[in-house]
Order: sequence, then structure tokens, then C-alpha cells
Amino acid sequence: MGRMRFLCDVDRCIDCGGCVVACKEGHQIPVGVNRRRVITINEGKPGEKSISVACMHCSDAPCIAVCPVDALYQREDGIVLVNKDVCIGCGYCFFACPFGAPQFPKGNSFGARGVMDKCTFCAGGPAENFSDKEKRLYGQNRIAEGKAPLCASMCATKALLAGDADKIANIYRERGFKRGSGANAWGWDKAYNKK
Amino acid sequence: MRRILFVTLIMFLLLMAAVYSAENDTVQPIFSNSKYNNSIENYKIITEHFTGEWQKYGEPFTILQKEYVRKIYFWILIAIPGIFVLHYLVIGPKKFPHEGNKYLVFTVFNRAVHWLTAISFLTLTVSGLIMIFGKYFGGGSLVRTFRFIHFPSAVIFVPLGLVMLLMWLREMIIAPGDITWFFKFGGYLSKKTENIMPVGKFNPGQKSWFWLGTLGGFVMAYTGYYMYSFAASTDNLRIYAIIHNFLGMAMLIMFLVHLYMSLFAIKGSLKSMLTGYKYEDEIRIMHCRFYSKLSGKDCSK
Repeated sequence: MGRMRFLCDVDRCIDCGGCVVACKEGHQIPVGVNRRRVITINEGKPGEKSISVACMHCSDAPCIAVCPVDALYQREDGIVLVNKDVCIGCGYCFFACPFGAPQFPKGNSFGARGVMDKCTFCAGGPAENFSDKEKRLYGQNRIAEGKAPLCASMCATKALLAGDADKIANIYRERGFKRGSGANAWGWDKAYNKK
Repeated sequence: MRRILFVTLIMFLLLMAAVYSAENDTVQPIFSNSKYNNSIENYKIITEHFTGEWQKYGEPFTILQKEYVRKIYFWILIAIPGIFVLHYLVIGPKKFPHEGNKYLVFTVFNRAVHWLTAISFLTLTVSGLIMIFGKYFGGGSLVRTFRFIHFPSAVIFVPLGLVMLLMWLREMIIAPGDITWFFKFGGYLSKKTENIMPVGKFNPGQKSWFWLGTLGGFVMAYTGYYMYSFAASTDNLRIYAIIHNFLGMAMLIMFLVHLYMSLFAIKGSLKSMLTGYKYEDEIRIMHCRFYSKLSGKDCSK
């Protein structure tokens, strides 16, 4: 089984926000919760860069390490999921996460925050595949359907890659090569081919 | 003629404006500015937009939480009561015949504040411990309920803690001899009650519990509020969580000591906090200086 990963190509991301919209709409995510978001730096200046980030599904994930109730777990393919029946909403995973991925909707009891919600890599949750409970708590299960996550699937510039680690790393490497650096830089074949 | 002059003037002004703007053109050529083309720089800036430098506080928080916090709490809960059982079996509790006059030591107000604070503190401790050992309770709605209880208990605890701080402040100020008291455990390691060192209304053990319980309690409330509300930067939240969990250990230890002393080690201690009265013989030995002040008599043993 492959190891699922996200990769965002900062040279391609144009801050269109399509991934965010696709995720929110596709999983019926409540207001105030953002499983995925786009960050832009140097906005309006030369060298502007954007990057789309959700849960990175880390190996040796800090959120799993700090969870006091063991609500988080990692699948064999590397996808990190939360069991919302077990989560108590303490927020420790948020303190531990380097990417600010865990999100907490406003709860009903004393205005305390509810249980954690985060990117599932579109792999649903611990509930039975395609069940109503899974859809209600975790959203779609596109992985079980054999599809790539929504965000990466609809990315207009294909900046956001999701899938098997080796495959997306290859795509990114080939891209970098074609885009031009070193011996493959623009104009080099014409200008420097003949000594 | 006037027209020509006017046009010339306009042309001149435009020329001046053009020269001025050309001289003050602040836009740098794109490729000469390395700041925007250094991808390592860019990644650093991007990282700042998330939760800061993870290695600084995120990693220590994760390691402490994963490797130490639950284990230390577990050993506190095993070792401290274990020591008390040993003390009870080897040295035994302090008993007094409770003869002679009795003195009102704790007023109704004192007792009310003590017990209300005690109830909210107990709720905080129990709910906190259930969260720390949440995985053994299976998480879910049970542990979640205790998390919901934790916050309102703190809201009740804080004002009562403040009242308690003001109520006993004067008696709790460190007195001469308090440091040496600690080195000899106040004479509590001896079977003979005569060896108990002379103290005022409160002994240094009670004083340290008082200061830790009130001031430490406020620090717990402050850090806990931010852990609850998330109204701080992620790095600050991490620091607050570390402080909250480690200060909690100290408070738990002192709380267990307080429970043991009042429920088991000194017979009649619980009753005196319920009725407010303490007997002369007990005060004479346990709170020598306080006795002299109350009765005007010498407390020499």
C-alpha cells in the first residue's frame, strides 16, 4: 500500500481558493471550520507566493502523541483520522500541530468548543464506509471510491498534488526539471549548445 | 501670448513631476532583490503564518505531553498515598484526648469559604485527572462531560480563592523558623507529639499549601482560560499548557498532603473545620505560639 501525502507547489498556486471551496462544499463543513486554507505571502509585491495547507498527515504525528484519549489514529496508508465519538475537544492536538490543522466548531454545551474536525484526506472516518454517520461526521469518503481528494482533484493549476508519495514526488521533480533550472533552463539549448 | 505662456507652464510642471517621480521610484527591479527570490526565506515566512517555529515550543510540548505528563501524574497518585500509608503504619496518627477549654479557631465565614473552595477545588482536580487519564475511561461523552465541568468549577474557584487569600493573608505570612521547620518536617516524623515544632495559627506546611492553592490557583486559572478560549498565539498556548500541567502536579501533591493530614494523620482535624472549634490540648502542642497568644499561658511541654 502506498503512503498518501499532500504536496503544494508554491510556484504554481495562484491563491484562487478553489481547494478551500471544494473542501467546504464537498464535506458540508460548518462556518468557522477550515479544513484547508490558502496562505499568501508578499501579497501584491514581487515574489508573491501562495500555499494551500490542510492536515499534512505526518508520519509520527504530534497530534496522535499528545491526544489524552487516543482519539487520533493513523491508517496504514499514512492518513491521520480522528474518531469524533472519542474526542473530548481539549485542543491539545492544536497546540502540538505545526500546521494549525485541527479545527474546533463552537459546541452547544456552555459555549465550549466541540470535538475536533480536520482534513480526512477525503477518506471519511472510523464509521462504516459510505454510512450516513460517516457522511455526517466526517464528510465524503472519496478514497474508498477510488478517487483523489476533492481539493487536489479540482486544483486549476494542479499546484496541489495528493496521492502516493513516490508518484507525486516524481511529478514534482519532473515539473521542476521542465520549468527550468540548471542545464534545462530556458534558452540554454539554443545559446550554449555549441561550444 | 498668454495662452502660449500657460501651456509652457503646464508643460514645465508636468516635466518637473515626471523628473520627481522618476527620482523617487521605489519599486525595485524584481530580480535584483534576493529577499523575494530566496525560497528558504519564503518558506520561513510561510511557516510564520501557521503556528510559528514548531521546534521552539511545539516540540517540547509534544515530548512532555507524550512521555512525561501522564506518567508523572500516575506516579504522584501511587507514590504520595504510598508514603502516607507508610507514615500511618510506622509513625501513626496524632491523637489528642481533647480535654479542657475549646477555642473558636475558624469562624462561620472561614469555614464557608474553606468548604466552598474545597468543593470547587475537588471538582477541578477530579475532572482534570479524568482528562489526563482519559484514554482509560474510553474518552467520548463521559470524559467530555468532565471537561465541560472543569471550566465552570474554575469560575467558582477563582473568586473564592481571592476571598481566602485576603481572609488568611496575615496569618499565612512566613514567620521566623519556618525554613528550619521544613528541614525537620515540623517534627511530624516522630511518634512523640512533644517533638512537634512550635508554630503559629498555621504551620509552614499549611502556609505553603495556602500560597500554592491561591496564587498557584490563579496561575492555573489564567493559563487554563487561554487553553479554553484559544485567545493567544499558538506558541503562548503551548507554554500555557506546559505550565498548567506541571503546576497541576505540584498542586495535586499538596492537595494529597492536605487530605492526608486532615482526614487521617491528625484525628479530629476534620471536625475542627466543621465545627470551628479546637481543643486546648491540641492547640497547645500543634500550634504552640498560637496557644500562647490565645490563652496568654506558656505552652512549654
